[in-house]
Parts: sequence; C-alpha cells; structure tokens
Amino acid sequence: MSAPRLEMSGITRSFGAVKAVRDVSLRLGPGEILGLCGHNGAGKSTLIHVLAGLVAPDAGAIRLDGEPVVLHTPRDAQRAGIAWVDQELSLVPALSIAENVALGRVDAGLLRHPRRERADTRELLAKVGLDARDPDELVGGLDLGTRQLVEIARALGRGARLLILDEPTATLTDFEIERVFAAVRRVARDGCAVIFVSHRLGEVLELCHRVTVVRDGRVVAERPVAELSAAQLVEAMLGEQLEPAPPRGPNATGERLLRVRDLSVGTRLRGFTFDFDAGRVYGLAGQVGAGTSEVLHALAGLLPAATGSAELAGRPLGLRHPVRNRGRGLGFVTNDRKGEGLFLGRSVAENLTATQLDVVARAGQLIPRRERRHATALAVHAGVAADRLDAPVGVLSGGNQQKTLVGRYLLRDDIKALLVDEPTRGVDIGGRAAIHELLRAAADENRAVIFASSDLDELLELATTVITMRAGRIVGVYPDGVSRQTMLTDLTHGRA
Amino acid sequence: MRRPTTIPLVLALAALIVLAATTDRFFTWDNVKAILSSASLVGIVALGLTFVTLAGSMVSLAVGPSAVLAAMVFLSALNAGLLPALLLAIAAGAAIAALQGALVGLWNVNPVILTIGAGFLIVGFAEKAYGEATVRPEGGGFATLNSVPLGIPVAVYVMIGVALAFQYLLTRTVLGRQILLVGESREAARAAGIPVARVVTAAFALAGAAYALGGAFLGSFNMGASTYLEGTLTFDAIAAVLIGGTSIAGGHGSPLRTLGGALAVAAITDLLLLRGLGTGPQILLKGLLVVTVVIATQRRLNGAQA
Amino acid sequence: MSARNAWRRADVLLPLASFALVLLAFLVVPGMRGEEVTDASLFNGLQGFAPLGLIALALGLTLIAGEFDVSVLGMQALGGVLAVRAGGSAGLLGVLAAVAGCGLLGLVQGVAIARLQLQSLSVTIGTYVVLLGLTNVIAGDDTLSFGNVGASVWVDQQLLSWFSPRSLITIGIFLAALVLLSATRIGPEIKAIGSNRRAGRGSGVPVERRLAALFTCSGALAGLAGALLSYSNASASLDPGLGPLILATAAAVLGGLSLSGGRGTIWGLLLGALAVALLQQLFAILALPTSTTQIVFGALLLVVVTIDAPELRTTLSGAAVRRRTERQRVEERTP
Repeated sequence: MSAPRLEMSGITRSFGAVKAVRDVSLRLGPGEILGLCGHNGAGKSTLIHVLAGLVAPDAGAIRLDGEPVVLHTPRDAQRAGIAWVDQELSLVPALSIAENVALGRVDAGLLRHPRRERADTRELLAKVGLDARDPDELVGGLDLGTRQLVEIARALGRGARLLILDEPTATLTDFEIERVFAAVRRVARDGCAVIFVSHRLGEVLELCHRVTVVRDGRVVAERPVAELSAAQLVEAMLGEQLEPAPPRGPNATGERLLRVRDLSVGTRLRGFTFDFDAGRVYGLAGQVGAGTSEVLHALAGLLPAATGSAELAGRPLGLRHPVRNRGRGLGFVTNDRKGEGLFLGRSVAENLTATQLDVVARAGQLIPRRERRHATALAVHAGVAADRLDAPVGVLSGGNQQKTLVGRYLLRDDIKALLVDEPTRGVDIGGRAAIHELLRAAADENRAVIFASSDLDELLELATTVITMRAGRIVGVYPDGVSRQTMLTDLTHGRA
Repeated sequence: MRRPTTIPLVLALAALIVLAATTDRFFTWDNVKAILSSASLVGIVALGLTFVTLAGSMVSLAVGPSAVLAAMVFLSALNAGLLPALLLAIAAGAAIAALQGALVGLWNVNPVILTIGAGFLIVGFAEKAYGEATVRPEGGGFATLNSVPLGIPVAVYVMIGVALAFQYLLTRTVLGRQILLVGESREAARAAGIPVARVVTAAFALAGAAYALGGAFLGSFNMGASTYLEGTLTFDAIAAVLIGGTSIAGGHGSPLRTLGGALAVAAITDLLLLRGLGTGPQILLKGLLVVTVVIATQRRLNGAQA
Repeated sequence: MSARNAWRRADVLLPLASFALVLLAFLVVPGMRGEEVTDASLFNGLQGFAPLGLIALALGLTLIAGEFDVSVLGMQALGGVLAVRAGGSAGLLGVLAAVAGCGLLGLVQGVAIARLQLQSLSVTIGTYVVLLGLTNVIAGDDTLSFGNVGASVWVDQQLLSWFSPRSLITIGIFLAALVLLSATRIGPEIKAIGSNRRAGRGSGVPVERRLAALFTCSGALAGLAGALLSYSNASASLDPGLGPLILATAAAVLGGLSLSGGRGTIWGLLLGALAVALLQQLFAILALPTSTTQIVFGALLLVVVTIDAPELRTTLSGAAVRRRTERQRVEERTP
C-alpha cells in the first residue's frame, strides 16, 4: 500500500499558556478532498499555518508521500509541494498575473524569461478556466473570484501535491464559488490532495469527500461526507446541540425613521430608494458586488462618489460627512474590522468609548471614573468579558472584536439607525448568536437596524424585512418573510 | 514578551548610574541645574512635536525652521512689549503649523516630505522678510525670558509647565483621546465619526505653538536670530521624542515620556562632558540611545498587537 | 488593461515630465537672464549629479521596498572619512574601505530591521546619529584633509566634455541597477516587498534576505558617494547636513517613486536625479539668492507631495464620478 499523500502525527503547538493544537493526527490520500471544520479558536488555523510553513509545531511529525518534511518557512512549504491559498490571497496587486505566478518560486533561476513566463501562465490559466485572461493584466484589476483562481493556477504550476484552501469562499459570489469548486475538483482528479477549511457547512458537504472536525485543539470527529448531516456537523463542532433561534415576536413597526432617495455610487449602486422604520431589522441581501455594502458606507458618509439624498429623523444626512452623520444619530459598523473598525493597539475600553467621548466627558474634558463605569456597562451589555477591558483589542477573538464594534453604539438614546456590514464575518457560531441577539435588542429599543450580508442563513434568522439586491439595484422587498429559494434566485440571476 | 527587552535596558541603566556615581560633580545641584537648562530648549520644542507623532504624522522636519522664524518674529515685535511679542510669535507658529496639519488631515499628504518643503519655504520667506543679517531684539523684554529665578532658568519652569499641561491635554481631554485614536488608525477614526482633519490640524497647531515658544527662548538666549540659530534643533527634538519611547507609528506615547527623553539626552551628554569626552562620543551615544529605545518600543508594540 | 495604464502613467509621466521641464529650463532660462549655458555648465551639473545620484539610488532601492533609510546621510559622512584615512597612498584602497565598511554596517542594519520586523524610519534616524558620532570618533583630532592629490585630480578630470569619472561611475551603477532589476526576478520581488509584503512572503519571496541585501547596497552606495566626494573636495566632511537626503527624496518623488513604496522604476529615478541636479546647477548659473532657491524648492516639494496624496486622488475621482452620475440621471429623466 502506498504512503498517504499527507500524514500529520502528534502535532502539538502552544502559544504561551494556550494549547492551540494538542496531539492532532491527520491523514489524506492523493486526490482526496478533506473538509476541515471547527469554530474559531478550535485550532484549525494553527494546523493550517503549520502546513503553510508559518508556524513550527512544538512536537509531532509531518510526512508527504512517506517522506518526512520540515516546514520552517513558506519557502520550505513550497519546496515540499504544499500550496496554501487563504482569504487574504498572496497575490501582489501591483504586479501582473504572469509576474505573480512567477513570484517567489523556489526553483527559479536569477534571470527572468518574460516570454516563457507568459506562455506558461497562459497554460495554467486554461487549466482553471481562465483561458481568456491576458497574463500581462495587473492582478489589481481582477475581481476576487478570478484572483482565487489565479492562486490555484499558481499552485498547480508549482507542482503542488497538497492544496490548502483556507476560507476561500467568504468573499466570493455564487458563480465564482462554482468556478473555484470546478477547478478544485479538476485538481483533485489530477491527483492533488486538497484540504478545504470553511465555516460554510453547506459548501463543505458539497465539495469534500471526508470531513474532520477540530474542537479545543483536538480532532473530535472524522467521517466520510456521505455519513454526515449539517446538524451533526454543528453538534460535533460545538459539542452540543444548537438551540433553534427563538421565534421572532410580532413585527412592531415604529415611525418612519430613515428615508433614502436615489442613492447612487458610480456603477456600484444605482438609484437605491427606500424608507426604513424604527423597531425593525432590515437585511440587505446581496453577494459581493451587489451594492449592499455601498448602501451602508454611503449612508455613513464614507464614499466621496455617492450621490442622492438621505434623511434621518427629519434631518438630512451628508453623504460625504461621516462626522455630521454620526452626530445626527447614525451608527456604522464596518465589514473590515481590522482596517477601518478597530483601534487594534488600544484597549477594549477605549475602543468601546471611541464613539461615546461626549458621554464620558464634560466641557471637552474626560472624566476617568465616568469613562470606566460606562466602558464596563458597554462591555457587559455587549457580552464582552469586563475583566479584559484593559487588554489591547487586537488579542480578542473575532467574535469579541465584532461585539466591541457593535457595543460602541449601545446605551445611547441618540443612535437612531445602526448600520452593520457583514455582522458575523469571521465569527464562530457561538459569537454569531450573541451578535444577532444584540442587534435584535437594538431594534427593540426603537431603532432601525440595517445590516448587509451574503449569508442566507443569517438573513433568514435575523432580518424582519429582507431587501434583495443585485448589480447595484434592488430586486425584491420582503417585509413578511422570504424563502431561501427566492433569495437565491434574486441574488443570482434566476439560477437556482 | 517583556523580559527579553527590559533586561538589557535595566543593565544599561545600572551601568549609567554606576558611571554617574563615579563621576566627579555629577550629583551636584549645580550640575542638575545645568542638565535641566540644557534640556529645556529642545524639551519645549520636542513636547510640541510629540503631538504630531502621536497623531500619526511621524515626524516634522519643519521644527527648526519654525522655531527660528518665531524667534525672528518675537525679537522684532518686542517694541510692543514682552507679552504681545510672545503671543504674536506663538500665534504665527501655530498658524503656520496648522496649515501643514490641514493638508495632512484633509488629504493624508506625506507629512515628512510636506514638512521638509514647509521648512524650506519658512526659511526662504524668513530671509526675504528679515534679510540676511541677524535679527536683533527691538525691546528689552527678552531679558525676562533669560532670567534665572531661584537659580533655575525660566525656560526650565516653562518646559515642566508645558509638559504637565500637554500631558493633561493628552490624557484628560476629548481632543487628546481623539489624537491617540487618529494616530492609531486614521480609517477607523473616520468610520467612527471622529473629525480627522480637525484633530490633525489641532495637533499640528499645538506643536507649532510649542515650536514658537521654544524659538522665543532660543532668540532671547542668543540675543539675536538668524538661520544659523537652527543648529541641530530638529533632530535633537526628534531624538528626544524617540528616546522617550513614543512610537513613530502614532497612537502610543506621551509628553511626559518626551520630557524624560529630553532629560535623558541632556543628562547623558552632560555625563560624557564631565568625563572629558568630546562631541563624537556624545553624538554616538545619543544615536545608540535612539536605536535602543526605538527597538524596545517597537518590540513591545509588536507583541501587544499579537 | 486600463488599470495597467493607470499605474504606468505615474511611473512614466512624472519622471519624463520633470526631466523634460528642467532640461528645457536649464537650456533656455539662463539665456533669458543674460547668462550663458556652456559645456562647463553641463559638466558642473553632472558633477552635482555624481554624489546625488548615488544617494538617490540608495534611498530609492529601499523606498521601492517600502522602507525609508535616513542613515544614508551618516553613511556618506562615514564613507568620506574612511576613504580619506585609508586612501592616502592608494586611492582605490580608500574607496574600497568606504564601500566595505559602510556596506557592512548597512548589512547589520538591514538584518536587524528584517529579522526584528522594525519600522525603518525611526531606526535609521537613530543609526544616522550613531554614524555621525562614529565618523566623528574615527576622524579623531587628526586633520580631515586628503593628501593624495593624484586621486583627487583623477576623479574630477573632464571626459567627453561633460563627464568625469565620478559622474560616469554613477551612471554606470545606475545602468547596472537597471539591468539587475529588470532582467532578474529581483525587480518584481522588491516591488512585491514594497507594495504587499505579506503576499510576497506567502508567495515565497525571501523577504528578509532581500531587505538585508537592499540595506547593504544602500550603505555601500552612500559610502561610495561620500568617498568620491571627499576625494573631489580633498577633504572629508564630518556632517553633510540634511541636504543630500532632501535632494535624494526630491529625486525619488520626481522620479515617480511612491513614498509609501511598491512603485517606481530605476530609470525614472535616474531621470529624477538628473532633474534635481540640473535644477541645482540652474540656480547656481542664475546666481539666485539662497532664499529664492529655498522657496522654489520648498514649493516644488509641496506641490509634488500634494499631488501624490492618496486621499486627494480619491476625493477628486469621487467628485468626477458624482458629476457623471448626475449627468446620467438627467439624461435618463429627459424623455
């Protein structure tokens, strides 16, 4: 019997006092697609980082095709034939496709051969369905789905024996996801082993042959996909049954709060017109590029290209004035919490009070005791551990970070509308439920809560009214509930 | 995370204390006064620069030129009285710096190059306005700035006062908090509804006021102002800020730290002087101090951001 | 395709425009003021370019990689003193001492910055001061003057009317850098390191090794500049002031390099350095008072840096998109 493609045995890794991975063993054969699931902090990221050469294990051994390998750097991983494609992508936007494909190859000589690079790149692009692309095109001009495919093509070109896809689909449209899946299946058929890490259980069950579930740093389940249902998967990940979401109360409708007229942002958003009422949770359903994120960013005043008008509680909002809008009662939570959301080096308390400085100050002067009390109250309200108030927010988990961002706008009467872009991106199942609860509570306090999401489950669970969008325009409005099928149809041109 | 970097620092500190103890005349009141007074001019200016760095604008290379122009304005306006001349110089300094801050705040213009260019413009215009000759005091008010109440120069009292005032501003006012937040992440501040342009302009204006105040003292001390007055003021101020442990990336640090940095530089320079070492070793040690603290500061922050 | 053009525009237009404008001014303006432009003027301009170009290249290489090396000032000073001390009998020895010494220090600095993941701006401010101190200490109380008259004369001899060994060395090194960056994989790798370091590392670029090499080159080039300059002046300078750094930065900015890294070409840098050198010489020919040159220079920097400002561009393009959208709205409404 030939050696398995990948064999990890007894991998252990700790970060300080935290045992991220404990004695994990994994086995994968050539052509096999393995799904790796587990909520945040379960250890799957660490496992992947070990394979990618970013983190060295404290103990354990890795074998590829029977040969032991040592992976201290990404270059070692490349030499061993391991390709790691993660959400943030290792492509340099300032360089062309061909230059990116050739970038950092361990077996390349010093001199460049641009013509050969271009020819080789064209071949590889054809293998992933991108034959029409010009290898000299700058990666910066490509959409995310195409970039994913370029990375997979690059992995192929480097003779990858093991391809790791780390949460690749979170930012892709359904169409792009299908293309990526097609490319992955083709790659697997050619003998490459694939590890597919994802939160999206539906996709895992669709694409993978087997699933491994990791919890608290250990492998707790390993089964062929045919023997597994989504519910069983969730149970394995959490270690318990997930309570169904409590039935939503009757749809209370308060007064008309936010009027938006003809909101447009170039070609990304066209003529968005809607009236939002207090007391309801509105879900803007759309994939990447549908314009949902633009609606929120434009209302917050962060897009200089936005035109149209909006009025909150009778007072006009400035489409280029985030400060004014904040003052008029608009709260905004971004989808990019590391880039434009959190102050990573500052404490949790300071992050919470960042938008509430007027509350904790008098005549421009901060009152420390008041700030402390208020920050504690906010933390408790948002469900962030109050004993971590002084820790830099950068060390918190994704869920707690997101709660901090939402927590900024709580306990204030003057926040009338709360806009949240992708409320639970990168947040595990436990944190997700908590954030949904927060948003529901915010709406119950007579606010309009408007969130944008591409996650159909989230939209079904959280929104009282669903607004579907595609290509920058509203497709459907559903104040009384909507089926998953309808949403999907609206979002994708009628393809089921 | 802390241990690897604090041990060498503690050792260095211990070595310095031993060195100081074995140096004649170091721990005398006269010497302490000398250290304080040599730190004061750079200190006042560096305290202002701290706000620019904290607000995320790295460093300003217009520090020296601004101080010199303010000195010229101050000295030539002395015929109107000490206080009016001082206020005029400070207002001019704040305004010129505010203009630079507005460009950085509005459009995120690169602050290093901007202040280089601004420095050139300031020096050029100063020479055009006041000619090439040294500007002499037009009144006697400057003597007050040179006076030495209780044996300590006025500049020292002012430096300590400014340090305390700026520290209060940073830690206990809304503006101070906003400066720290903008310095930490400009985009996050904007998304949170913080008026970025206003905050950065204010930070620069405060800095400009401090440069001008320092310049007034500088001009009084030399009883004249010309472009040669600048000397190494800009880089000495930058060194003081960095040695104090304020991060050049913004968002972390304080005026008190800068005060400490200015005093540390003055103390070590003094120590070397007493030991008979020339300018070479003094400069060398100042540089080593900057490098050591910068590395320690960045390591500490890298660790905190996981 | 159009995205590519947009990038190229800044890379290409700015250095070409800068050089063309300055050259034009250089050839035309003196005549307007009754001064003559002679072969000597061009020779002097290129003599100014000789050290300026090397420092600009030193700064530019690390700038494309996303770093800012203030220590080139210190390296220049150190190189000058090392050359004067070691080159008394054989000029070449002095140059080698300067290049080797400063290159080695550059290596140490580069390894530290790469391994410890430090921000280079503040660290190099510190090492700049350290190098000034070191220069001072090495110079000691001995004279700074350079006795090797043969070497001094040799470096500045006139060749082909406009050139000298010094300017030819600088041009030669630029050509070598040009070839190195465009014909080998080092070019794209440096760009990757400057524009998206994380992605570069993930792709397999040996980031630490490249950064260490860049800082080594930066030190060696600045040391070389200092050595040749001190030969030319027949004496070493303990402190060149901030001038060389400012001129080099201006050369980089005019050459199309972005101050945040990841953008720019070597030949753009070459044009930028030539432009700055000719501009300086133009000021000398016109015998402008220093206050005027400072104002012109300061205004130039201000204008270029404002144009380069990222948020200004988004504001302006946003306004353009708004106008287009409004126009479309009007068109859609009118039947």
